[in-house]
Amino acid sequence: MTGTQPNLQKKICMLGSFGVGKTSLVRRFVESVFSETYLTTVGVKIDKKIVALGDRTMTLILWDVAGEDDISPLKMSYVRGAAGYVLVADGTRQPTLDVALSIRQRIEAEYGALPFVLLLNKSDLREQWQIAPQTLEELPSKGCTARLSSARTGEGVEQAFRDLALAISR
Amino acid sequence: MTTSSATLDRLFSAAQSDTGIDRQALAGLLVELARSADESIDARASGIASTDPRLTQLRGLLLGQEIATLSRLTRQFDDPAELAAIVGRVLPTALAQAWAQNKSLGPILAPMVEEATRSSIRRDPGTLINILHPLMGPAIGKSIGERIDGTFQSLNETLKHSLSWHGLMWRWEAWRTGTSFAAIVLKHTLIYRVEHVFLIHRHTGLLIAHVAAPDAVSQDPQLVSSMLVAIQDFIRDSFSGAEQGVDTVRLGELRLWSEPGPFASLAVVIRGNPPENLHQTLAGVVTRINAEHHDALRDFNGDSAAFANVEAALMECVELQQRAPRSTPHRARWAVALLALALIGLFGRWEYQRWQERRHWNAYVAQLRAEPGIVVAETGTQDGKWSVSGLRDPLAVDPQTVLRRTSLDPSQIVSRWTSYQSLEPAFVLRRLIDTMKPPPTVSMVLQGNRIVALGSASEAWLRRAHATTEALPTGTPPIDFSAVEDIDTGMLGKLRAAIQSNQILFDNNSPAPSQENNAILDKVAGEIHDLAALASTLGVTARVMLTGHTDSKGSEIFNLSISQGRAESVRALLKKRGVDPSLLAVRAAGPYEPEQNEDSDAARSRNRRVTFTVEID
Repeated sequence: MTGTQPNLQKKICMLGSFGVGKTSLVRRFVESVFSETYLTTVGVKIDKKIVALGDRTMTLILWDVAGEDDISPLKMSYVRGAAGYVLVADGTRQPTLDVALSIRQRIEAEYGALPFVLLLNKSDLREQWQIAPQTLEELPSKGCTARLSSARTGEGVEQAFRDLALAISR
Repeated sequence: MTTSSATLDRLFSAAQSDTGIDRQALAGLLVELARSADESIDARASGIASTDPRLTQLRGLLLGQEIATLSRLTRQFDDPAELAAIVGRVLPTALAQAWAQNKSLGPILAPMVEEATRSSIRRDPGTLINILHPLMGPAIGKSIGERIDGTFQSLNETLKHSLSWHGLMWRWEAWRTGTSFAAIVLKHTLIYRVEHVFLIHRHTGLLIAHVAAPDAVSQDPQLVSSMLVAIQDFIRDSFSGAEQGVDTVRLGELRLWSEPGPFASLAVVIRGNPPENLHQTLAGVVTRINAEHHDALRDFNGDSAAFANVEAALMECVELQQRAPRSTPHRARWAVALLALALIGLFGRWEYQRWQERRHWNAYVAQLRAEPGIVVAETGTQDGKWSVSGLRDPLAVDPQTVLRRTSLDPSQIVSRWTSYQSLEPAFVLRRLIDTMKPPPTVSMVLQGNRIVALGSASEAWLRRAHATTEALPTGTPPIDFSAVEDIDTGMLGKLRAAIQSNQILFDNNSPAPSQENNAILDKVAGEIHDLAALASTLGVTARVMLTGHTDSKGSEIFNLSISQGRAESVRALLKKRGVDPSLLAVRAAGPYEPEQNEDSDAARSRNRRVTFTVEID
């Protein structure tokens, strides 16, 4: 018999446009047992990220939801019960940021305000960067702060998960 | 401030309408007030007039607004309709606040709600039924569905195994233990084990608790739990009518059963073939967990520390299993095998005997059918015996004779034969021979379908034969007598002619023949001897009639007497010569059969004679 040890779990959704690199972030930094084909079949893949918060840990159950594109809108039912979410946009594609912000609006309309972090991914591709610094400066006025991340270099990823866990535990 | 006692008195004299005010107290109060301004005032609050317009004025000045408000409130309180409207406005808020401050409102309201529900049901049960229907309908449907599934499962398994070898053994076991056959079948076929039990928070998909069987392995239960919820969501989103989600998933010999509860659901992984009524057991567990941890589940925030004791309930599920029944020990198995072999041997032997017997029976029936004069109408078995019935000509072969030639046990055969007359040529022939009694000179044979008589016969017999055949029924085979020769032709005819040509002559009035007849007598004796021998050979009866004659002289009585004497003397003489006297008959003709007209003595002497007539039969 195996029992589960008492543990604080939280459901977290990974959301963003198709191709922004959500799955890459997850693949590199979380425990994963399911194949990525789940994303194209069921539209979601579950992974786990354990974050240390002082003397205790929080288990983030990550729902990597298939990326939104023109033909398949985000399945909002997957967000039900989430304690927070990670919005991912691709810094080399301006429209993906708009999509991320639109997703946030939809979530707040349906489930109310939830803690989240906004990642501008692919920060290693400086030369292809499209998002203007001015856009980033305007973000705090919209109630969010973007942070740069790179699934390739690992920049910002661990910190993003830890910050989200802290925001949730508050 | 200047106030005279007269003024006060006037002031204290209240109006008629001022009833209800404690005038004494009010007067006292005003006197105290006046004294505080001027100590010389020595007025007493006595003798106050019953009405005083000034008091009314003062009151109007001091309390005008309050009086208006008070009278409005009084009116509102007194009017039930207005009071109801006011309370109605604040009641929801009041209840909400009361609930928030103190949870005791629930128990207070409960009896009222119960009574209201009771009275509603008494008045019109339909209302409550309509309210509960969306809730109860699916639950009852699911419950009935599971019960029907269980019944079908039992029926399926029972049918599947009812005729197999296992089935026979289980029938024996059911009989031995006094259990129903269906229960024994389920016991042996529904081999299963609950391997994993996940208690999953429905809203978040987070795992609350997980228990697994000792050697069962799975991926990270936390991830599995969420993935199961995700798949449920996926199905709910993808297919209309799947609001309930999936409750059964089958993958090879693994089954995933989901038992939903209001806050927490149970996902159970079962290996093998579980009985449908396991759903009820699991539903009972999930209902109990949801009830016992109602508040903790409702407020679950991802901290499963509060659910440590829930694992005991989940362990009950993991302990659910149906093992394969222990196989029979080797010795017993050998005994069973030997018994089975012996039974098979006996059965085979019995079946072989039965087969042999059937073969012999069929051969017997075929022989009967081949027999002329036997018509087999029906064969079969009756009370464990072979039976045959039909028609049989009494002349046909006896079926018992045919039966004795087979190896069938006659005591095991029941025969019923009805007599009839066959028109088979062979039988017609036999019947003809029986009725016609043909002489040995005649033989009757079959030529194809014809009956042909051969040989020789007397004319009398032929006449009788023709008469007989004419009386035979239609359809009788043709009978041909044309080949039968008259028996008189041939040797017998010659002998007859020779014997009949002889005459023994007598002297007048003499009953004994003269000496010169001795040679003729010798000759006749020899011829009759030959005739007898020939007749014996031919199988006919030959008799010789000796007729005595006289001439016409003398009396009739004398002549008849002497002709009798002449015939008898010849008989005696022939007997003397070795002729069997039984072949010889005598007759007296007297003078009535003369050979010659008696116109001379010579003619008369020719008439005194004995003649011979041969009769062949």
